[in-house]
Amino acid sequence: MSTTIKIRNLNQYYGKKQALCDVNLTIETGMFGLLGRNGAGKTTLMKVIATLLPVSEGEVSVCGRNVQRAKEIRKMVGYLPQEFSMYPYMTVYEAMDYLGVLSGLNKDMRKQRIPKLLKKVNLQDDKRKKVKALSGGMKRRLGIAQAILHNPRVLIVDEPTAGLDPEERVRFRNLLCEIAEERIVILSTHIVGDIEATCEDIAVLDEGSVIYQGTVTDLISMTEGKVYSAEISKRELEILKKDYIVTSMLTLGNNVMARFLAEEKPFASAKLCEAGVEDAYMYLMHTERGEL
Amino acid sequence: MPVLLQLFIKECKQTARSLIYWAIVLILIFDFTSQLGDMEIDRKPEPGQAEYGMKQCDDPEIIMRSALGQLTEEYYRESYTTYPIGFYKNVTLNEKDDQKIGEILREAAGIASREEAGKVMEEWYSASNTASADRFAAEGITDIEYIADTADITDTENMVNIEDFSGGEGPIYQESLKVEPVKGLTYERFAELMDQVDKILGGGSHYNKEYREHDAEIPMTYEDALEEYNTLIEKDRLTGGYARLFSDYMVIFLGILPVFLSVTRGLRDRRASMQELIYTRRCSSFTIIASRYLAMIVMLTLPVLIISINPLSQCISYAQTAGIKADPFAFVKYIIGWQLPTIMIVTAVGMFLTELTDTAVAVLVQGAWWFITVFAGIGSLDGGAYGWTLVPRHNTEMNWQGFHDGFAQLAANRAVYAGAALLLMAFTAWIYSEKRKGRLQIRGKILANRKNKS
Repeated sequence: MSTTIKIRNLNQYYGKKQALCDVNLTIETGMFGLLGRNGAGKTTLMKVIATLLPVSEGEVSVCGRNVQRAKEIRKMVGYLPQEFSMYPYMTVYEAMDYLGVLSGLNKDMRKQRIPKLLKKVNLQDDKRKKVKALSGGMKRRLGIAQAILHNPRVLIVDEPTAGLDPEERVRFRNLLCEIAEERIVILSTHIVGDIEATCEDIAVLDEGSVIYQGTVTDLISMTEGKVYSAEISKRELEILKKDYIVTSMLTLGNNVMARFLAEEKPFASAKLCEAGVEDAYMYLMHTERGEL
Repeated sequence: MPVLLQLFIKECKQTARSLIYWAIVLILIFDFTSQLGDMEIDRKPEPGQAEYGMKQCDDPEIIMRSALGQLTEEYYRESYTTYPIGFYKNVTLNEKDDQKIGEILREAAGIASREEAGKVMEEWYSASNTASADRFAAEGITDIEYIADTADITDTENMVNIEDFSGGEGPIYQESLKVEPVKGLTYERFAELMDQVDKILGGGSHYNKEYREHDAEIPMTYEDALEEYNTLIEKDRLTGGYARLFSDYMVIFLGILPVFLSVTRGLRDRRASMQELIYTRRCSSFTIIASRYLAMIVMLTLPVLIISINPLSQCISYAQTAGIKADPFAFVKYIIGWQLPTIMIVTAVGMFLTELTDTAVAVLVQGAWWFITVFAGIGSLDGGAYGWTLVPRHNTEMNWQGFHDGFAQLAANRAVYAGAALLLMAFTAWIYSEKRKGRLQIRGKILANRKNKS
């Protein structure tokens, strides 16, 4: 059986509002990043793949099975929603054990897998801790552990690093990369840094449509020769913002070191820079809207 | 071990950690101790006792005397007690309707005025008290201590209330006022007149057919009391009668309490933000819902079974000394047959409505149903008339005959509720299954509608 997710001409509606427009994607084994602003349709797409939303129009298959065959899909998919928790009075082990039963794992399998997974997410010393006593980062790691408890071929994680401190975020990204060695991991986020650090293949969603699908390298290459930096005064910065997309700023006394996007060298003091994912993402979003 | 069983065990553990569950257990214990905690097993009646209690009577003469007695009292007080749709209501009439009642009382009992009604009452209770005192004196009890002031004839509750005497043998019920109908009044005409009174009072009064027949009571003789006692011993083996009485008290609270547990369970996943983690598991919706339902049923039945050990042991202890062969499984049988269907349906209503709406609306719905049922059951407290009520009443260890006569109806009643409960569970599982697939999100629609309106 192939380990591929195929999405063909997918349209999703919430009442009259269209949340996804004619989405076509093919996702292979490894980390796959789904990038887009809040409300772009990322969560809707993930919920469709996780069988939490019915397909309005189009076709979605996971490892060769249509998502409408929910029971079969649920065996293959692990899901970590953006907003989640577990029964607060349960211990970490009890929560895993409960979800393990729901995943159809027998007692021996649970006894074998739960300690391993807790070790993998560095929660082995907290297994007797109540869920309500866990920090945000610990809860996220527990979330990942529960999502891969039944060893799914597809793991879907929605905005997993939101609210995590930088150290937790790095640890979490590394964990996802480890997991992705043998399965599809779809990482949905609006944080470009998460994608840059973990994914090679990505798709960018905007207002329900896929505006880019390809590698991160290709996305960056679209912006090559279009990223400049210049040290300018704060007054000049306001003028610069009107004409160009400023992607970052660094205050240097009375001046500002601005990084911005331009099709051609705008003025003599502007220096051409190496493009990053964030620059490429901003370029893409603004090109789509015809702002460049 | 099958998944259903594994989940069932986990759900039982979850229930045991629930504060609501322990609150329910405490209420059930309180219910038992306040109603049956100081339960005294009926002793064999002895000849020459002062009282043997009262019994219902279907003699038209007695029905007429009882109803006219009640009407005389209420007419005198200018205040009538009714239970329209089961709820208590005090009715005070306008001058026109008051005159109509006066005319009916004159035609039926020959009482021409309110003053005459008061006189009839005073004479009755005075004679009744004297007769009671004489009966007690015959038993050597002379220091009768009245709790109520029977001199105040405007307070019917006092006049017919329980009196106590220092012998400590228990309460003595004074016979309520009886008034003779006028000569020549046929039962048919009496029924017509009482129906008119009921209509004037807005229905649900003591004068409608059901109430006036229920209210007709006469004092039991020694032979009556002995026959009832023998029935309790022979037919019910003592335990059967007390198991029914136990069921009567417990089922009142079991008609409402389980809904709190099932609503709390239904909302727990959402409150814990755990819905999507569970929805995406491979376990079938039926297994999830059935395990939760079974766990709640078992955990709610368990305290009832444990509490029943107390009255059972009292019965068995008395039975051993009196040489009666008690049935040690009587309480279990009645709990399963009588109380379990109520637990099942109330829990199912809670789960169904909670799953459908993701709100606690089931508490309101069940609360209303329970309230109406309990008050509507006031007319059939002594058992026998079980109908289709959620809370079948049988507020006596006696009346085996009533139980026997109404058994087929009771069995049908319980079977229908148990069946309806299972059907609701099947619906709940279907709703749950649809929600897992993103359909039937009624809560989302309600919230969206509210937002649109605001």
